[in-house]
Amino acid sequence: MISRTAPARGIREALLHGKRRPRTPGGSPTSRRGDGYEFVELREYVPGDDVRRIDWAASARSGDLQTRVILEDVALTLAAILDDSPSMQVGRRRPMLAAGREALRAWYDVAAADDRCVRIVGDAMHPSGAQRGPVSAAAAMRASGTFDLGRALHVARSALRPGAALLAIGDWFDLAAAQDGLLHALGRRCDCTALLARDPWFDDLPLFGLVRMRGAEGGMLRAYVGARERAAYARAVRAREAGLLARFAAAGWRTSLLYENDGAASLAAAFGLHARGIARS
Amino acid sequence: MTLAHPLRFAVALVVAALLALLYGRLGRGKTANDLAYSNLAFFVAAVKPRLWVPRALQVAWIIALVSLALALGGLHVTAPVPVRDGAVFICIDTSGSMAAGDVAPTRAAAALAAARAFIDESAPGTRIGLISFSSGASMVQALSSDHAAVDAALAAIPPPNGATAIGDALRLAASALPPIGHRLIVLITDGVNNTGVDPQQVAEWLGTQHIPVYTVGIGTANGGAIPGSSDEATIDEDALQSYARVSGGAYARAQNATELHDALARLGRVTAFERKPVDASAGLAATGIVLLIATFLAGFGTGRLV
Repeated sequence: MISRTAPARGIREALLHGKRRPRTPGGSPTSRRGDGYEFVELREYVPGDDVRRIDWAASARSGDLQTRVILEDVALTLAAILDDSPSMQVGRRRPMLAAGREALRAWYDVAAADDRCVRIVGDAMHPSGAQRGPVSAAAAMRASGTFDLGRALHVARSALRPGAALLAIGDWFDLAAAQDGLLHALGRRCDCTALLARDPWFDDLPLFGLVRMRGAEGGMLRAYVGARERAAYARAVRAREAGLLARFAAAGWRTSLLYENDGAASLAAAFGLHARGIARS
Repeated sequence: MTLAHPLRFAVALVVAALLALLYGRLGRGKTANDLAYSNLAFFVAAVKPRLWVPRALQVAWIIALVSLALALGGLHVTAPVPVRDGAVFICIDTSGSMAAGDVAPTRAAAALAAARAFIDESAPGTRIGLISFSSGASMVQALSSDHAAVDAALAAIPPPNGATAIGDALRLAASALPPIGHRLIVLITDGVNNTGVDPQQVAEWLGTQHIPVYTVGIGTANGGAIPGSSDEATIDEDALQSYARVSGGAYARAQNATELHDALARLGRVTAFERKPVDASAGLAATGIVLLIATFLAGFGTGRLV
């Protein structure tokens, strides 16, 4: 028996609900291949269910249409991409990556015993075997390697089965406009969620006068920053956030900002769940 | 430019270079005041921070160090400084040809007006004397810093008459000038030397004594008729240029009263300044200290706030 927090239950329900509904309005039910067709239970027919899953004998006995629920319908594939590059190592009180890891942990906390947790790192998914449940979640959390956003998105598109749930966490500085097609393809194929790491100084740049900045990925900058520059910075950060969220949303992704102080709540917010404790000025 | 203490300068320069090296090395190290940022390219593109300010301060800092090093080295520069002990003789030609009217009203009258302009433009305190010359040279006014008196003495210049003894006038002026100080002779003439000592030799000697002769040639290109004579007033420009060149002065040609007036007024301003080696240490030290304080204060209280 796995005890699960309320947000985790809500996220799981949202993901399962997302799997059951047709992915195109008025279109045919999603056809996807699972790991197998192990019978789990019978339930009432829900519009959108694959008619091939209707158990006609059981329907005749009960008088209502009954759908055969197989393992694929109740087991999730929880995939994740976490940008752990140096640009995520910055933050006001702690690195944004810490919040990202919290969100990732909350994501894998959604997993039930039959769910499969994978993480896309480098050119591969980890763990590579058929591990399921918390074992696969722990292995996915431990996975490490060099982060490359473009490669990760390509791997996700080619390796994830249709209907899988994908969570992508990052600051998306290296998300090129040319990758929008990839985002759209993933959005059609999987149930995708994007968390955009919020700039730690989105509300006020803590600089004045002669300042020195170090790039998380190298480089140094000496400059004079006054009121004009601070105002321009605030505008640019908000415009960038709005632009990125709009791109993901247009590609069919669920989106939210990743707040430095609470990664798990940021993930819950993406699913429209109560997100206590997020600093959202 | 000369350095009174080149060794001190070299040591100061080495110390400054070491300081700059140390500053650069410290500047590359991380400090708690640095702000680590995800993406500097985004920041620069979005904010367009004023990158020139720290660069300007770096340049100011380097200038401050070099200024202090030069101050320690005792830098002397040759610069124009106000003349305090200037002595000038105006030698005015009063030969017969100066009665010619090609320069209105006459060459002699125009020369006197121009001499007056020279006196007016001269620096206060400059001692000015007057010499008139024709067949010989005579002192009209000894050196005096009372410019009003010198101006009044112009009335005592005799009317045009006689030959042209340029050499005699130059020699008389040289003998009456003080042995040291800022000294020069202004020669206003229209003619050719035709009596007395050789002016070329006197000019060469004046050059060795650092007494420049500024020559002003009066007369139009066509020359002018000398009243009461069948002779034409001519001008030996080559000779006048030579006197100026060998003595370290300059030559000016005036074909009318306005040109003559302007030429003499310009020469009057020449007497106000002289080029002398000046000790620039104090100024450089002050500049260096002010710049160092300014660059320090510019960064004071700024940086990362939280």
